[in-house]
Amino acid sequence: MLLHRGKFQRELDEELRLHLDLREQQQREAGLSATSAHRTARRKFGNPTVLRENSHMAWGWNWLETFLQDVSYGIRSLLRSPALTTVALLSLGLGIGANTAIFSFIDAVMLRSLPIKNPAQLVVLGEGDEDGVTDRYGSTTLYSYPFYRQFQQKNEVFSDVATIDSMNANPYGTIDRRDQMEPMMIDIVSGTFFSTLGVEPAMGRMFTDDDDTTEGDHPVIVISYAWWQRAFAGDPNVLHHTVKLGDTTFNIVGVTPPGFFGIMVGHQPDLWVPMSMMKAIPPHSSGYNDNFFQSNLILGRLKPGVTHAQAEANVNVLYQQIIRAFPDAKLNAYNLQHLQKAHVPLTSLATGLSYLRRGFSDPLKILMGVTALVLLIACANIANLLLARSTARAREFAVRQALGARRIRLIRQLLTESLILALAGGLLGILFAVIADRLLLRMISGGFDADPIPLDVSLNLRLLLFTLFATIGTAVLFGIVPALRASRVEVTESLKDGRGSSHAPTRTPLGKALVIGQVALSLVLTVAAMLFLRSLVNLTHVDTGFARTGVLRLDIDSNVVGLKSDDPRMIAMFRQIEQRIAALHGVKGASFASFFFHQGSWNGSVNVPGAGYNERIDVRHNVIGDDYFKTLQIPVLAGRTFGTQDTATSHRVAIISESMARDLFPAGVNPVGRHYFMGHDPLPETDVEVIGVVKDVKFGSLDEPQEYVDYVPNPQHPSGYGALAVRYEGDFHVVSSGVQQAIHSVNRTLPIRHITTLDAQVQRTITNQRLVAQLSAFFGLLAIFLSSIGIYGLMSYLVSRRTNEIGIRMALGAARSNVRWLVMRDVVILIVIGIVVGVPVTLLGSSLVSSMLYGLQAADPLSLIAAILALLLVALFAGYLPARRASRVDPTVALRYE
Amino acid sequence: MAALVNRSSSPTEDRDEIPPGTLYLLILKTIAVRGRLHGYEIAESIQQNSDEVLQVEEGSLYPALQRMLLKGWVTAEWGVTAGNRRARYYTLTPDGHKQLHLEVSQFQRVMGAIGRIIQTA
Repeated sequence: MLLHRGKFQRELDEELRLHLDLREQQQREAGLSATSAHRTARRKFGNPTVLRENSHMAWGWNWLETFLQDVSYGIRSLLRSPALTTVALLSLGLGIGANTAIFSFIDAVMLRSLPIKNPAQLVVLGEGDEDGVTDRYGSTTLYSYPFYRQFQQKNEVFSDVATIDSMNANPYGTIDRRDQMEPMMIDIVSGTFFSTLGVEPAMGRMFTDDDDTTEGDHPVIVISYAWWQRAFAGDPNVLHHTVKLGDTTFNIVGVTPPGFFGIMVGHQPDLWVPMSMMKAIPPHSSGYNDNFFQSNLILGRLKPGVTHAQAEANVNVLYQQIIRAFPDAKLNAYNLQHLQKAHVPLTSLATGLSYLRRGFSDPLKILMGVTALVLLIACANIANLLLARSTARAREFAVRQALGARRIRLIRQLLTESLILALAGGLLGILFAVIADRLLLRMISGGFDADPIPLDVSLNLRLLLFTLFATIGTAVLFGIVPALRASRVEVTESLKDGRGSSHAPTRTPLGKALVIGQVALSLVLTVAAMLFLRSLVNLTHVDTGFARTGVLRLDIDSNVVGLKSDDPRMIAMFRQIEQRIAALHGVKGASFASFFFHQGSWNGSVNVPGAGYNERIDVRHNVIGDDYFKTLQIPVLAGRTFGTQDTATSHRVAIISESMARDLFPAGVNPVGRHYFMGHDPLPETDVEVIGVVKDVKFGSLDEPQEYVDYVPNPQHPSGYGALAVRYEGDFHVVSSGVQQAIHSVNRTLPIRHITTLDAQVQRTITNQRLVAQLSAFFGLLAIFLSSIGIYGLMSYLVSRRTNEIGIRMALGAARSNVRWLVMRDVVILIVIGIVVGVPVTLLGSSLVSSMLYGLQAADPLSLIAAILALLLVALFAGYLPARRASRVDPTVALRYE
Repeated sequence: MAALVNRSSSPTEDRDEIPPGTLYLLILKTIAVRGRLHGYEIAESIQQNSDEVLQVEEGSLYPALQRMLLKGWVTAEWGVTAGNRRARYYTLTPDGHKQLHLEVSQFQRVMGAIGRIIQTA
């Protein structure tokens, strides 16, 4: 009907015309004159316009047509006030866009289900939040491969069980016979992994349980779709290609479907290797047959009809049985105690596991709150602007009501205008969100020069629905009250000439309340921004114990050399590299180490004779080169550092941190020269002599409590190092190329990667705090800006209404400054009330985020005062402009303006 | 059913209102009797067959006809009048016939009841 409206009208017109002509003809035949026949015919007929409309309305599309009418009228009237429309669109776009961007991250990191079959049925044993390897009894998150095999056979509640190595390997390998080795991200999984997850191959086949039954003779791999496209350019013959890792050549047997990444959100492996081949891949783990090499996560798919509680019960019973039944289980009192206390919870795997969640779920939630508040402020602004506009349009509405429009019709039209504004703002917001997402991903990944985390934050349906919901919500929020107000017009009053006072009192209390609300919310956001910024500054000034500027860092992969780590040639190679680099111009020291900062840890307990043994104390062990302390400029407080006299055969030595010397050794005695055991049992092979004490350092993160650290030299605890640090002076790039040349002069095949500075790595560890601080500062400024627009708008309106009164005052002798003060008084009252309302809300809000602050409490008075002052300044300025305008009013003009 | 009634405008014409709700009935019956009519003919027919007692405001026929088209009681097609003018002719559908029977019986029921009350008074 809509489409054929023209045709319908024409045909109807023709019918009506015929009728009128025939009637006219009949009247003329009855004897009337031509003109009176004409008139009579029309009189008998009735009002053709109404009839046409009724005929058309009978078809029932009326509502849609009036809606389209409203839309086009709304667009026209919005275009007629471009300033308001632009401000409204920008504030809405930023508000909705910010919300959408943050929500897309929340969705990707915390809410989205894994792209596998029926993710709700999957669970993982334990909390799923550990990675590494442990041999302690009572470990409920990490399990050994033999445990998995027994568990798979004996359990009654899972239809499929699989296991995956918790540590992600990142060695270098060779594709086919290419010259260059490439770094590859590898996940080591059981043969049942893909079938448990229900993954169908995009090409070839996935692993089966057979690929995992015997160690070492299943050199097959499955590659990811993304890697297939990237490294093989999507070659359809990829199943004929091979990958060489270590000494073993693997055949590619399948490709996973696009979008599949396993179970760790934010981690995209390039290929999967079966557990049976774990020894062939660096780091050549021998955990396949080791009952207590506990490094794997176990996941399972619940049988239909089995409840969580039933499964948990069965799992715990099996857990105790399997461990105690291991032939080499050391069931002494210590271990038994831990075993008995162990309880294995089952954690749902529907949204996968993610290291990102640990770091970012709180910041993301806070940012979501921040952006929601900004959106509220923007809505308040738009509501105020619309209220002002509707007062100006009072006359238009009066006329329409006088002509017969019902109030509902007017409200519907105003709501449609709000909806158009909101939808346009929403579209703009989606655009902002797409840009912001890319920016945010870069920020979360730790900067623009870092690799972006493989997180999919592109637009999807859930995101668009969220935006739609936000848009309609904001439209209703800022549109409904102005719509109700505008349509409640007294027809006769408004149509009278002049400014009746009838509609004046109704607008301003609401407008003032909105502005007060904006000021309060801005205070909350500004204080939050201050708190986070100061937290960040505190963090960056933490004394790490080592001098972190002027140190180059890089990683090598020593596995490609093909030697075992305790081979004297390997140990000599590291020494030689260190010496060659130290001889370079501009280099003040070079050293390898297992860990520099935030690289993981190797923990253990220590047994100090003479002091009580406390198993709860974890000491972090670090294997280092001789010049470690010189390179990092960590002060040596007593004794000496390692040197050439500490070899594989000399007596075993260690250097301890100062807090370890103070707390773990008997008081009052110099620890240098004393012995202790690295481990729980006093075995001769764990006995070391303390030869030095060094200052405490930060080991894993800037805000960690003080940690105990001890150091051992590489020859006595051989480890295939990867990490190298070089202290230098001068130009970074010059030194960097010199260092790389020096390394290659010792061994040409060593791959070098992750060339950066120690300072950059330290900075990377506070990425989420930096993210929150930067974004909350940005949104705080935005909030203040929007609020000042709100204040300016409201005060301009009030001033314009009081033009008359001001004119009279000035004519009676008031000075300009009196008039200014008259207006400013209102502004000050508004702002003060806003701040007073905002302070308790702020204190409440800050107490919610106190866990994220460092070095200051939530109710920090300095931040509060600074924020109040900043807000006052900006808001007073915003209110001053209309006040100044008011004082410039020419009395004669004002008086004439009736 | 909105039947706008024409209040008599000239002293010589003295028409009565049609009771509300009977416009459809009149149109249906008129078309049923004559088979195929256009709008003007329907109006004339009602006027004449009522011996000039009933006069419907002629324009109100057209919205009513549109509604009847929507409800499927009549169909319309373009044809040519005797005077060689294009006109839209309406005919009843089987649904229309059914509706006519319904309305007639309802009308007779109501009128019968009213008549009984009047007679007893």
